[in-house]
Parts: sequence; structure tokens; C-alpha cells
Amino acid sequence: MHTRRSAMLAGAAFCAAPMVRAQGNVPFRFALTPVFLDNDAAVISALRTALAEAMASEIELVQRRTYQEITGALLDGSVDAAWTCGYPYLQHRDQLSLLGVPVWRGAPLYQSYLIVAADDDAASLADLKGGTHAFSDPDSNSGCLVTASDLARIGASPDGFFSRSIFTYGHRNVVRAVAGGLTRSGSVDGYVWEVLNSVEPDLTARTRVISRSEELGFPPFVARSDRMEEIRITACMAALQGLATADKGQEVLRLLFLDAVVPANRALFDGIAVRMAALAGG
Amino acid sequence: MIAMQPFRNMPVTLRVPLITAALMIVLGLVASQSVLGALDRVQDARMSETARLHVEGLSVALGPSVLRQDVWEVYDILDRARQASDGQRLLLTVVADERGLVLAATDPRRAPVGVDAAAFGDGAVAPEAVRMTGDPVLRVSAPLQYQGRTVGGIVTELDVTDLLAERWQMTLWLLLGNAMATALLAFGGWLAVAHILRPVGALAQAMDASGGAPRPIPTAEIPHGDPGLARLIETYNQMTTAVEERAEAERRLADRERFVSLGRLSSALAHEVNNPLGGLLNTADTIRTYADRPDVVRQSAELMQRGLAHLRDVTRAMLDQNRLDRAGQVLRPEDFEDLRLLFEPEAHRRNLALAWEVQAGAAALTSQPAAPVRQVALNLLLNAAAAAGPNGQVGLRVSNDMDRLCILVSNTGSAMSEADLRRLLASGPLPPGGGVGLRLVHDIVSELGGTLHHDRADGRTMIRVALPMMGVGHA
Repeated sequence: MHTRRSAMLAGAAFCAAPMVRAQGNVPFRFALTPVFLDNDAAVISALRTALAEAMASEIELVQRRTYQEITGALLDGSVDAAWTCGYPYLQHRDQLSLLGVPVWRGAPLYQSYLIVAADDDAASLADLKGGTHAFSDPDSNSGCLVTASDLARIGASPDGFFSRSIFTYGHRNVVRAVAGGLTRSGSVDGYVWEVLNSVEPDLTARTRVISRSEELGFPPFVARSDRMEEIRITACMAALQGLATADKGQEVLRLLFLDAVVPANRALFDGIAVRMAALAGG
Repeated sequence: MIAMQPFRNMPVTLRVPLITAALMIVLGLVASQSVLGALDRVQDARMSETARLHVEGLSVALGPSVLRQDVWEVYDILDRARQASDGQRLLLTVVADERGLVLAATDPRRAPVGVDAAAFGDGAVAPEAVRMTGDPVLRVSAPLQYQGRTVGGIVTELDVTDLLAERWQMTLWLLLGNAMATALLAFGGWLAVAHILRPVGALAQAMDASGGAPRPIPTAEIPHGDPGLARLIETYNQMTTAVEERAEAERRLADRERFVSLGRLSSALAHEVNNPLGGLLNTADTIRTYADRPDVVRQSAELMQRGLAHLRDVTRAMLDQNRLDRAGQVLRPEDFEDLRLLFEPEAHRRNLALAWEVQAGAAALTSQPAAPVRQVALNLLLNAAAAAGPNGQVGLRVSNDMDRLCILVSNTGSAMSEADLRRLLASGPLPPGGGVGLRLVHDIVSELGGTLHHDRADGRTMIRVALPMMGVGHA
């Protein structure tokens, strides 16, 4: 029996060996959006190196323009894991699971900022009526949902409230659009604006924050729920959550101005869910 | 023509460099114009190429975004293009959609989204037609083509301040360079021409030197490298020798003229000596015959004394006229007495009536040297006697006013010939034939600073000599 089991295991191992070898050769595909820090080659390179080291696997970082593309790729299996936003995560909460949430300034939370040009005298969202507005992505919580839900609460929609609204598909682009005068106001990720305020103070100096949202769940790392048991996915989860303890991981976190990546549950994103309900008219 | 007069009066050593400088300035202007023209063309081509590449590049990049009316994408492309070009040349680029409304611009504050883009296209030209107009900002417009159709338009403002500055700087350098080159060449031209014309200057100096008495140029100073000039100077040197020889000949002729005038008087003077001699011989016979009669002897001795005194006066006058050592002696009334003594026998011989009048005071006479004035008066009297003809009349009148001594010699003969008048009044070369007596009068009067006047009235020829009273001492 023992022999038979051993033989079966050996046979299985023999059959599985090429698969394992084949799996080992396929790079782990990790998706990012430029919604965060726009094409920062140093960040991308450091992240790839840190994950590759931690997972002992080759990492392919896949960049897409929109959250929708990322979510689509994640769901159809084109990518294995992704750093996305709380809003698309909640939109597909049945199919997606959390791998971890970054900690920024001591908590896995951030805010959405409403910004205008530095010389604009608007004081609140109401003052921006009839102006042009820049959103980052239709599926971004801080770059769209917050402002859209605020408008929904007063019975307005972006198209009706603003003379024209555009999507820049990047929080940094929102800041550029407002700073350059392309639009009067913009909805931007508070974390991105603060990081830009440190690294590109000339850019943010041309903008002014007129309102900040409540604190909401920080954009999480996610994977498909049905693949959560896969070794590579668990390895990825471990690698992400171990960034703060690995040398290369710390370097990535330093570049991203983050403290760590921690485990989280869905309740962290309840605030976003409330806003989704508000937008839906609930 | 009047304006040209001062230029014509300039020395040739100044005129030639000035002409060189003027030609250099003209050349400099033409060259500068040509360089600036070339620069213009280069700048135009550069601007046209810049505009064309800019518009073409943007057309390719912007096409899909404009078609989708994607404001952010259009702005993003424009903004990155602006940053890539340092924002130096491209001041503003406006992209309009099919309806002519602004889709995005590099400076959305100047060209907000949705406004009419036509205002930005004022004065805009196609990229290939861009020319430097002097305006620091040029506008270029072009349709935005994508997939074979026009989906919008681009208007770009190009900043050409640097090119204008470059052109201005180039103009300045050209002007400065040309001015310096012109000055340098003009100075070089002046030096060269001055060097070339140095022998001519030396020639002019030699001709002007020592009050009209030209002196020859030393052989060492003759530029043998220039055959034309060398021949000119050699010819001049030969001329100076000829002039010296002529002056020497005239001087000898003048000396001889004194003897000539005496020679002309010789037959009359011979009579003047001979006549008293006859009387003296008769008186000697009378004394011999009436030696015992003291009253007759005494009377005869007195006669002899008077005759001998006359002979003594005549010979003294002749000696005075001939003496060469009279230089420095001043004119006295006695000089005119001597002249009369010498001339009267000639007048008698020719059967002429003589009107002799010396009114001038001794003070006026002593202001003149004796020898030249006597020579002038005697020559004029001899000519008057010859011209008066038989039974004519010859007159001498010496008078003075405040500052002049006047000697008027007149005769009743025929008028003076043209040749004689030229001898007397003009300084030109002597007409052929005839003596030099009248010319001598002219030269002496000129030397004394006086003037000669000829007049003919009532059948009488009058020669008036006016000599300024300016002290004694003329030789």
C-alpha cells in the first residue's frame, strides 16, 4: 500500500513535474494602474524586484490605463493580482478578495481631496457649479465616487452640475489639469496629492485643497477569490504583507511613502460602500 | 555742382582715400544687405521647418484624441510637447475640434476649453508660408488631418524674439565690422596714395619754392620705379635749368641795355662834344692872335672856361649813366638835369620840341633809387623820341602825390604798335623782333612795385609810371 501510494505519488510527481516547471517559468503577473504614481520607473522597478525576491518568482508588472481594464484582466485571469481601488473591489466584492491594504501615515486609510487652482476663491463644492471638473477614473473612489456621491446627495450629477467634466485617468493628471487651468476643479486622491506635495511641490503649489472627505479604506491589493488558495497567490500575499520586513520591500515602501501592507477585511471599505449606495440613490 | 567745389579743391592725397572709403561703404552696404538677406532666408526656412515639424508631429499624435474629443489627452499631448520643446519657441498651441471650438491649449487660461478658436487664428499663416515679419510672435495655423479627413485645426504661436535679437546682433556686428574695415582701408588708401604721390608733392613744393624761382629736384628724390613720374621730374629739372638760363640772359641783356641807350645817344653826344670843341679852337686862335690884348685874352679865357665846363658836365652825365656802382644812391633833382643834358642833344638832332617839367619835390625823389629810375626815364624818352618823328614833341613830367612818384613821358608821334605795348605792359614771352628796352622798363617798374599805364589821346601817346614811395634801398 505504501509502495502503491509511493508509486502513485511518484507518478503524480512525474506527471506534475513539467507542469510545475512550466508554472515556474510563467511570470507572476501583477497589475498596476497609473492612477497612483504616474509611470514612476523607480517605483515600478523596485516593486518588481521586491516581489520577485520575496516570491522567488519572476514578476511581470502589467500597467493598464483604467481600473476597468485592470478589473477585467483580473477577472478573466490575464493577471494574477492587482493593486486597485476600494471602489472596483466593492463593485466585484463577490469575485475578489483582499491580499492586503497599505498603511499610510499609520492607518490603512486615506481621503479624497477636492482641489481648485491656487488663485481660485471657491470655498466648497457648491462654489464650483458651472465650472469644468477633472475626475481621475470613473471607477476611482477618491477620484470620482466621492464627488459624484456628494453631488448625488444634493440631487445633482456631475454632467448637470459641471459645465464639462473630463477623466484624466491619473490622480497626478487631475492635479496637472487644475494647476494648468484646463479645468477649474478636480477630484484627487489625498494620498497622491500629499505625496506630490512632497516630491513636486511646484505642481501642488498651483492648487489648493478646498475640501477633504472622511477617511476611507486605502486602495487594496486584490486577487480573484477562487484563486486565493493558489500557492503563488498566497506567496504574493505573504510577500506584500512582508514588505515592511524585507530590505527591498522597505525600499519600495519608502518610495511609495507607505508604512507597510497589512491584512484587512471588507469592513474597512464600508465608507466607500456608503458612498456607492448614495450614488445609487440609496 | 557747387557742393562738389570744395571736394574738387581738396588735395588728391585726400580725395582718393575719400573715394576709396565711399566705395568701401557702398560695398559694405551691399555685402551687409546680402548677408542679412541670406540670414532672413535661413531664418524663414528654419521657422517654416520648425512650424511644419511641430504641426505634423502634433497631427500624428493628436489625431485619435481629437477625433474622440478627449480633452485631457489633447491637453496632455500638448503639455508634454511644450515641456519637451522647453517652451522656448512655442508660446501657445491651440487645438480646435471640427466646429472650431477650443478642445485644449497649452495655456488653458488663455484659450479655455469650448471657446471659439477663430480669435487665435488672426494673422496666422500656413507652416510653409511662415516668414520673419519683425513681429516677435508669429502665428501658424494648419488643419488637423487624421485618417484622410480634417478632424480639427491647430494654431500655434511661435516666439521669434531670439531670432530677431540674432538678426539685430548680426546687423550690429556687420555695421561695426564694415565701419572698421572701411576706416582701415581708407587709412591704408590714404597712406598708399600719399606714398605714391610724394614725388608729386615734392615737385609742387619745388615749383612753389623761393618765390617763383623754381629749384631742381635732387636726383636721389626721383622715383626711378615710376617711369612716368621720373620723366616728369626730369623734364621739370630741365625746365628749371632753362628758366635759370633765361633769367641770366635777361640780366645780361638789361646790363647791355644801358650801353645800348648810350649808344643810341652817341651821335647826338658826339655833336654835343664836337660843337664846343669848334668854339674852343676858335677861341684858342683868338688868344694866339690877340695875345697882347689882355681884355680879349680874358674874354676868350672865359669863353673857353664855359665850353670846357659844358664838356665836363656832358662827360660826367655819361659816366654817371654808365657807372655800375651807383647801387644804393637815391634819386635827386640833379639826376633829371643829367638826363636832360644827355637827351637834349638827341632831341635837337631829331628836331624835336622838348617839354621838360620836374615838379616833384626832393623828398618824393629821394624815396626812389637813382639808377633804375634814370634807366626807366631814359628808355621811355629814347622810345618817345624815336616815335615822335621829325618836328614832333616829346615831354617829360615828373610829379608826386601823397604816396606815389609819377613820371609821365609823352610824344606826338604815331600810336605804339601792339608788339611794343605787349613788351611794355605784359609779362609774357617777348614777341619776336624789336629790342628789349620797353621790356626792361616793365621789369624794373615791376621790381620797384610800381605800375605802368598807357594812354593815347589827341594824337599824343602817354606812358605813365607810378612808383610807390616806400623808402630807399631798392637795388
